[in-house]
Amino acid sequence: MTARILVPTAFLTLLALAVAVPGLLTGVDPLSADPLGALTPPGGAHWFGSDHLGRDVLSRVVYGARHSLSIGVTATAVAVTSGILLGLAAGLSPKWLDEALARSFDVLSTLPELLLALLVIAITGPGTVNVIFAIAIAQIPNYARVIRAQTFVVRHAGYVEQAVTFGRSRAVITAQHVLPNVLGPIPVLATIGLGQAVIGASGLSFLGMGPQPPAAEWGAMLAEARNYLRVAWWEALFPGAAITLTVICLTVIGRRLQHRFEGRTP
Amino acid sequence: MKRILPVLVLTLAACGSQPSAQQAQAATLTWAIETQPITLNPQQWAQNKVRLLVFNQFDALLSRGRDGAFEPWLAKSWKVSDDGLTYTFELRDDVTFHDGTKFDAAAVKANLEQFLVPGYNAAVAAIQLAAFDKAEVVSPTTVKVTLKKPDGLFLDFLASPYSGQVSPKSLKSAKNLKFGGLDLVGTGPFILDRYVQGQEIHYHRNPAYKWAPPSAGHQGPAYLSELTYRFLPEAAVRVGALTSGQVQVIEGVPATEVNLIKKDHAFQTALNSGTSFSYYFNTSHAPFDDQRVRQAFREAVNVDAVLASVYQGTATRAWSVVGKASPFYDPSLEHTFGGDTAKANALLDEAGWTRRDSAGFRVKDGKRLTVRSVSSAPFVRDRRDILAQAIQAQVKQTAGIDFQVKIVDQGTAQQALDENQYEIFENSRGDSDVGAALNLILPSKGAINRTRFSDPRVDKWLAQASATADQALRKEIYTRVQRAVVTEKAIVFPIYVPADQLAAQKSVHGLGFDPGSGTPRNAYDVQAGT
Repeated sequence: MTARILVPTAFLTLLALAVAVPGLLTGVDPLSADPLGALTPPGGAHWFGSDHLGRDVLSRVVYGARHSLSIGVTATAVAVTSGILLGLAAGLSPKWLDEALARSFDVLSTLPELLLALLVIAITGPGTVNVIFAIAIAQIPNYARVIRAQTFVVRHAGYVEQAVTFGRSRAVITAQHVLPNVLGPIPVLATIGLGQAVIGASGLSFLGMGPQPPAAEWGAMLAEARNYLRVAWWEALFPGAAITLTVICLTVIGRRLQHRFEGRTP
Repeated sequence: MKRILPVLVLTLAACGSQPSAQQAQAATLTWAIETQPITLNPQQWAQNKVRLLVFNQFDALLSRGRDGAFEPWLAKSWKVSDDGLTYTFELRDDVTFHDGTKFDAAAVKANLEQFLVPGYNAAVAAIQLAAFDKAEVVSPTTVKVTLKKPDGLFLDFLASPYSGQVSPKSLKSAKNLKFGGLDLVGTGPFILDRYVQGQEIHYHRNPAYKWAPPSAGHQGPAYLSELTYRFLPEAAVRVGALTSGQVQVIEGVPATEVNLIKKDHAFQTALNSGTSFSYYFNTSHAPFDDQRVRQAFREAVNVDAVLASVYQGTATRAWSVVGKASPFYDPSLEHTFGGDTAKANALLDEAGWTRRDSAGFRVKDGKRLTVRSVSSAPFVRDRRDILAQAIQAQVKQTAGIDFQVKIVDQGTAQQALDENQYEIFENSRGDSDVGAALNLILPSKGAINRTRFSDPRVDKWLAQASATADQALRKEIYTRVQRAVVTEKAIVFPIYVPADQLAAQKSVHGLGFDPGSGTPRNAYDVQAGT
């Protein structure tokens, strides 16, 4: 493995650690405020400095990983699952139903993901769960369209036609033969989609739609820090860097997987 | 950018002579403000931050001079009968509304009676105008107002934004009367000609204006020919707009930026009149029906430390529901509460909140010690959301209280208040006479009595204080009221005295604060450089 893969993998491992056992990386409570120690620059006491309420920025970035990534991962999981089911349904349905589903994917795809997510939030109201669904709904068409196309290919493959001649039931054929063979592109898409979901989650949180204060979430931290940019650069820099690095790492790994899947190793 | 004439103004100003209105013909100014008005109708006015807009477009019957005393404005003079029940006003006869109709006694009568229209402004009708009986037109320039009982606050009402005189014609024809707008006109020095929600409000000069109050810096039309207020709710954006020269004036300067602003810009600040920014405890249900829990909440917060972190030492701590700028402020309340963590915990133990749950919050009978505050976004100013977060962290750390803060749209906030789904109500009021605010907040039937507290003594005292114009007696009564609600019953947690800040390019002159309210004055005396 080259450094181009090693570094992102190491960073994502660190993130996974932050999500699983944040206490290992910092001993400080992310919500514990020390008003008299507000806006302390990075240094011995606070490696990443302290924010406007005197909370430790390092600790908030570490604990923030849990919020930001769990929203991203859950949203991606919901989008992938629904995308597979809808895509499969479209690919195996009678023509009229397939047309209806496919056109609705097209319509959803015409809207930018963040805009679509905002529309959903406008209807459901802010909150962590709502943000997850908003992002998931916005991403479903990406997966559904690929699965539908794959289903068309697999449906006419020799082994499926064979199974039909053997008289296997429709359900068995779908589960045993079609489904496993349409999933190929999903891991790649999902890895890149995860990066987008993390950006989406942070973006919606920045706008105040996600986890509510005082929860430590990267996007929400950036939003709070924006009024202190001139006096405390560290308050915005570290959560911003965390979002940027996470998305870059996920994209690098996703592209790498994509090349490998397509049989091109750079 | 119209640059040429302002340069002329600047040159003249530099020569030490005051430019006259003619010389400043084309002066324009852009002023960034924090708060968007929820209404442009002065009779519906509710936001202290919007006071500076009201008196651009409207003039009141009376004004307050630099020493706080009442002065004539649209009313040239007034007489009060010995029994305090009849007020006779002599009006100016040279005033016209922006729609061309003449200002006269009938207009004053129509404006006062408008408040009595059911559903128009129930709060003002029930409180500030509770004593109002009738208004009679004696002659076109004389109006006689009769009260049912003496009201020491009536003149203050006539100098408030509510008394902004609206053309009776437009009161009838306005499309959206409660919101106001271009078709609801006054007699003010500026004429509203554009309002774009979320963006800006634009005025041009009223060339006929010659009825400024005596305390104004000049007479005749305003210096500025065009005036734009941009709505920039983000503090950092406002500061950036000022330092980059996109706007000439901003209000609401965040504490973190004050020193930076002072270097190259003119900066001034003033304490608001009225009540302090306070948390009012809802005494109608648990946990704040228990006085010990109310006291414990106050003791759990180190207010000085919280203010130091949120406002960088620029905020003035409040000790009473009455603000420090008011003549009725009771300084004996200073240092009587707050910041005693041990006491907070002892009080909570005593009140039965002894157990703790896994998150560290206190529990009693299986219920967590949770208190909720629901505030309406249009009223959040001065980083009160951040202040709430700081207090939230403090009460959790020091006393195990779960303080939940929600900032929602006005409808949702009103619903929570109506349904009694809150434990803390946060509020400050900018009334120029604090008595008007106390009459709304403290009496059993007060329009914004969110403490749901009721004390016949307080009701009686407030009525007494309102009925007299004897300031010494009022001070004595309000001192009793403050001690009752702050010390004896602990229904209120005063936090800071609201203040307004103005920052401007050094070439801008004539900015200042309204002596009655401590909020920024209108733009009548303002002169813009380049």
